[in-house]
Amino acid sequence: MKTLNKTVGLVTLFLVGWLFAAPVWAGEIKGTVKAPGMRSPENIAVYIDAVPDKTFPPPTQHALIDQRKMTFVPHVMVVLKGTTVDFLNSDTVGHNVYWPSISGNKKLAQNLGTWPQGQKKSFTFTELGAAPLLCNVHPEMSGYVVVAPTPYFAVTDKEGRFVIKDVPPGKYTLKTWSEEGKPVTQAVEVPATITVELTVHR
Amino acid sequence: MPNERKSVAISLATFLTVFAVLYMCLGHATPSYGIPAFARKYQTSCTTCHNNYPELNDFGEAFKKNGFKFPKDDESFIKEPPVMLGAKAQREVFPKAVYPGEMPGTIPLGFRYSGNFTLNSKQPLAIGFLPRTDMFTPGPFALFAAGSFGQRLSFWVDDDLSSGGSGADGGLGDGYLKVNDVGHYLGLPKDALNVRFGQFELDLPFTQARSINLSDYDIYDQASFAGGLGTTSNPLIFAEPQRGIELGGYPNDGNFAWSVSLVNGNNVDPAVRNSKDIYVRVSQRFNLERDANVRKEVQAAGPTGPRDHTSLRLGAFYYYGRNAINADQSVFPTLGTAREPFYRVGGDFRFKYRQLEIYGLGMHGHDVNLQPDLVNLKFDPGTPITFTGGFGQVQYWFYPWLIGLMRYDVVNSPTDAQNGDSRRDTRNRFSPGLQVLVRANIKLGFEYQHRWQQSIPSSTQFFRANSFVGGIDFVF
Repeated sequence: MKTLNKTVGLVTLFLVGWLFAAPVWAGEIKGTVKAPGMRSPENIAVYIDAVPDKTFPPPTQHALIDQRKMTFVPHVMVVLKGTTVDFLNSDTVGHNVYWPSISGNKKLAQNLGTWPQGQKKSFTFTELGAAPLLCNVHPEMSGYVVVAPTPYFAVTDKEGRFVIKDVPPGKYTLKTWSEEGKPVTQAVEVPATITVELTVHR
Repeated sequence: MPNERKSVAISLATFLTVFAVLYMCLGHATPSYGIPAFARKYQTSCTTCHNNYPELNDFGEAFKKNGFKFPKDDESFIKEPPVMLGAKAQREVFPKAVYPGEMPGTIPLGFRYSGNFTLNSKQPLAIGFLPRTDMFTPGPFALFAAGSFGQRLSFWVDDDLSSGGSGADGGLGDGYLKVNDVGHYLGLPKDALNVRFGQFELDLPFTQARSINLSDYDIYDQASFAGGLGTTSNPLIFAEPQRGIELGGYPNDGNFAWSVSLVNGNNVDPAVRNSKDIYVRVSQRFNLERDANVRKEVQAAGPTGPRDHTSLRLGAFYYYGRNAINADQSVFPTLGTAREPFYRVGGDFRFKYRQLEIYGLGMHGHDVNLQPDLVNLKFDPGTPITFTGGFGQVQYWFYPWLIGLMRYDVVNSPTDAQNGDSRRDTRNRFSPGLQVLVRANIKLGFEYQHRWQQSIPSSTQFFRANSFVGGIDFVF
């Protein structure tokens, strides 16, 4: 009897400790974005819009965009507001990085200048929106930094699929951003894992 | 308003309307990805190599000098891989197998078409009727192919396909094979020695064949004809390509350039004489960038992006040949062949600073002019036929797509004046212009030509054959 009581007590202690120590149950938002009339459903940013009364500290680790073979890699990157992005030049040709606006706001235009192969320049994105990355020597080069209000985001693959992980339970607004299409919003409720299907139009 | 002025006003208004409509259409066209051979190969815009096609920026010059390949790590930038004509390991099998090579993965063709509207000044009827306006004169429709056959072989062929119609020239421009960095096998510095064979524009200080101007440089069109003053009848002009072989190189990171060509001498036609001509050119570019590291790079690192180096280039050239006349005794049946040595000598400069470019050339030509002595059956030296001239040009990029130009041409030729080409020994011309890059591969060009005075036959008066030219130019 004494042993049984001891065992029950230990298990209870363990369960209580585990409940307090373990993270809150995090869910996933996964789904597919369809893009009829557009070249591809790839590279569409999907993110959770701002959550009222909730702020998210930016990560200390920098994000990285490379210039390789006269291409911005990755083509689309989503970052949390306040994130610092390093722009690396891996090419043996001269490049520069600039954007004429962020979501059309020309006051937020920026030109980071020119730097040689192997070196990088950093910029901290403190304004929400999409910055179209350009190179003024190679005008065909194109990339985007999408600055999101929350750390819950993903970029679609070639089939338009995405997964947003570690989303706390709650009701949210899911938003898209794409190079060619108009933004789409959808209300979602995250219990554990939810699957959604979005359609982006031109 | 007098009828003539009204006619000009209507023509000008018509042109401007057409231009405005054309510009609005082009301004609202869907984005153009027209990309000739190299742009297709590397999937990059024309502006990677051209600041106002066909003029090359520093990167484009380095690309051309490297045998039409990227100056560094070319293979990593190619988006259309070449066709291998033999595995690389076949090199070890040579000479028991054909040495392995490669050729472009897709046919490296580009096309270029241009055409202009012309507005002429009123000309006296004694010259012959010339309408005040010509709504459209087609220029050449040219095909060009260029690229590399692997590491050390490159080629260029361009041909004007238009064989009829007003403004058509027809015929081959450049067509050559080039072996790059032959000096590698002799232990020479990189690019110290290249060899080019075929038909090609001489290594001129400033290209005529790939000039951005709507009209030729007058000095490049200058030939030597004595007319009634002797026997000199030398058709050589710098504006046309030559046939032969060229040795050249650009060591020291391309800052020093030299070339020696052995050519037929009578430009594009088959050889008409035994003697061959020689052309020599040297130039030195002084890179004026303060940062030593920047001077070593292909392009300078500007605060808003890569740009051309601030630089000053100085050069000199010399051309020598011996023209032959009466080789078939058709002119002087009782005399033999008259061989008339001639030379062209000159110097040039080019200064680049940010959006400004200034360049110029001066040249002197000298032809020994023989006089037939039909009594003693020989030729005697006469007064040489000489000319001097050149040009100076200023270009300014107001925007990357809007370029202003101003050019001054001058040719001093007493012989031409005596033959009635001009009122005075000196012919000069002012040509302001404007070029608009509607897209990277589509251009609108405008040039006004204020020319020298020419005499009106059977009168003591003179006139100027001024004209305004404007038109389209696109490549794809």
